[in-house]
Amino acid sequence: MESSGPPVPSSVWNVASWRSMYPGMWSWVVQRLSAVVLLILFPFHVLNPYIAWLRLAVLALVILHGMHGLKVILTDFGFPARHQRRLLWALAAVGVAAFFALGFLRRAFWGFI
Amino acid sequence: MAAGEIRFRVRRGGGADDPEARYQTYTLRVRPRMTVLDALVAIQNGQDPSLGYRYSCRVGMCGTCALQVNGRPRWACRTRLQALGERVTLEPLTNFPVLRDLAVDMTPFFDKMKRARAWAEPTGAASSEPARIPPESRERGRIEPHIECITCGICYSACSMVGHDPAFLGPAALNRAYTLVCDSRDEIGPNRLANLADEHGIWRCHSQFNCTEACPKGISPTAAIQGLKRRAVADGAKSFVGSILRGRAPGA
Repeated sequence: MESSGPPVPSSVWNVASWRSMYPGMWSWVVQRLSAVVLLILFPFHVLNPYIAWLRLAVLALVILHGMHGLKVILTDFGFPARHQRRLLWALAAVGVAAFFALGFLRRAFWGFI
Repeated sequence: MAAGEIRFRVRRGGGADDPEARYQTYTLRVRPRMTVLDALVAIQNGQDPSLGYRYSCRVGMCGTCALQVNGRPRWACRTRLQALGERVTLEPLTNFPVLRDLAVDMTPFFDKMKRARAWAEPTGAASSEPARIPPESRERGRIEPHIECITCGICYSACSMVGHDPAFLGPAALNRAYTLVCDSRDEIGPNRLANLADEHGIWRCHSQFNCTEACPKGISPTAAIQGLKRRAVADGAKSFVGSILRGRAPGA
């Protein structure tokens, strides 16, 4: 160890390195970020639930965050790791479908958005 | 750059003898089916004898030639150049101290193997009798997908949690530990698991699958760590219920 130097530094701000990130890592990053943004936006949504863009943003973020949570839960309960990419894309598809379905239901039943 | 040529951008220095890290460019005419390791040998022989890197077997068995190819940890000896484009960046593995240029110090990696007690400890009949674990048994089925590890350090370099917490045991040591926890001949199974179930062990894993994606042998350390987590939770639940049934406070 005496003759060795520090490890190669890796930085979040090195945008070029993002290209080498794997899908599972992106999914984790997106979940973390969506949690932070939700934490900021959700109180405003509670205070005034009639701001349309905010309602859609909260819906999208909750689905993004929840779909990754589902992935982790399924992985915890033994979903085969070799299919993890397929699981990610499948849940992404479910999430997009849920966003439009829930958005549409709200419009159909409450008439706003 | 002429056709059939690749420009290699190689990280040099970074070790204690030559601390100033820098990138050096080499242009090499490549042949079909040439690998990253072939290119490094050709550069060292024909252009720069001072280039430092490491390899032993050249055929994907020993796990010594791992480095970063275009930002991803790969094995140099079995990574073909034709899929990489005309510009290739070569850097040492992340999460390891740099010895020189592309060679890293594997000490932290093998220290963690020791901390995870990554060797079988059979006692009693298991230490003297031949093993009787049939190939078609469930036990063997659980162990089988996790035994081909060549300790190349690629998963350890790919893991963002090792970067975040240098005390984290990392994917390879936990993968090895899983094969032993599943092995009925290993007598320290429950103690082994207790040793791993802390914040620098299995609970540090965030299931990002970086190790699974990067492993050149197709092993999923993530699956092994999930297996260890399930066993740790089951053990905890058993001892919780047991202590309640015995009329004691859980954890006491």
